[in-house]
Amino acid sequence: MTMSQHRAEQLSQLKWMRAISLIEGSTLLLLVLVAVPLKHFAGFAVATRIMGPIHGLAFLAYIWLLIQLVAGGGWSRPEIARLAIAAFIPFGGFVNARVLARREMLLATP
Amino acid sequence: MIYEWLKALHVAAVLCWSGGLLVAAVTVAAYATKAEAAGAAIIEIVGRWDRRVTTPAMLVVWGAGLALAMQGQWFGSLWLTIKLGIVVALSALHGVLAGMLRRLARSEAPTPHWLSHMPPLIVGCAAAIAVLVVVKPF
Repeated sequence: MTMSQHRAEQLSQLKWMRAISLIEGSTLLLLVLVAVPLKHFAGFAVATRIMGPIHGLAFLAYIWLLIQLVAGGGWSRPEIARLAIAAFIPFGGFVNARVLARREMLLATP
Repeated sequence: MIYEWLKALHVAAVLCWSGGLLVAAVTVAAYATKAEAAGAAIIEIVGRWDRRVTTPAMLVVWGAGLALAMQGQWFGSLWLTIKLGIVVALSALHGVLAGMLRRLARSEAPTPHWLSHMPPLIVGCAAAIAVLVVVKPF
C-alpha cells in the first residue's frame, strides 16, 4: 500500500470519527437540554426513553472508534485523555470534532 | 415471523463477525509472536476485510441483537446481561485489533505480546455465548 493510500485511509477514519463525535455531542445536548427537562417539567417521560438509547448507541460507536484510533497509534496520552473525557461533557463532542478536524488538516497538507 | 428473520440475520452476522475477528486476531498474534511472520500483503488484505466485512457485520450483530432482545423482552434476564458483557468486551477487542492492523500496515511498530493470547480467548467467549443463548442457564 502506498503512502498516499495510507493517508487517504487515515483521513477517512478521522472523518468518520468526527461525524460520530458530532452526533454523540448533539444527542447528548438533546438528551440533557430537551429530553430531561421535558420529562421532569412536562411529564413527557417518553422523551428520555427515546433519546436515552439513541445517545447510548452514539456514545458506544464513538468509544469504539476511539479504541481503534488509540490502538492505531500516533496520538499522545493527553490528546487521548481529552478525546475520551470530552465525550462525557455537554458540548465536548464539538470540541473533539474541532481537534479531529485540525488533525485532518495536518494530514491533508502534503 | 419477523423475530425469526431477525434471529437468522443476527446469527448470519455473528458468523461473519466471529470469523473475521478470529482472522484479525490470528494475524495480529502471528505478528506479536514473530515480527516477520505476517507479510505486508496479508496485513493489508486482512485490514481491508476487517473494514469492509467484519466491522459492518459487528454493526448488524448489535442492531439485530438489540432488536431481538426488545422484541423478545429478554432485557433483565441474567443470561443476556452476561452475554452483553462478553459482546461488549469482544467489540472492544475488535477495536484494538482493527487499530493494530492499521498500525502494522503503516509501520513496523512492535505489537504488544498480550495480543498473542487473543485467538483462544475469542473461541472461549464464543463458546460461552453459545451456552448462554442455547441453554439459558440463568
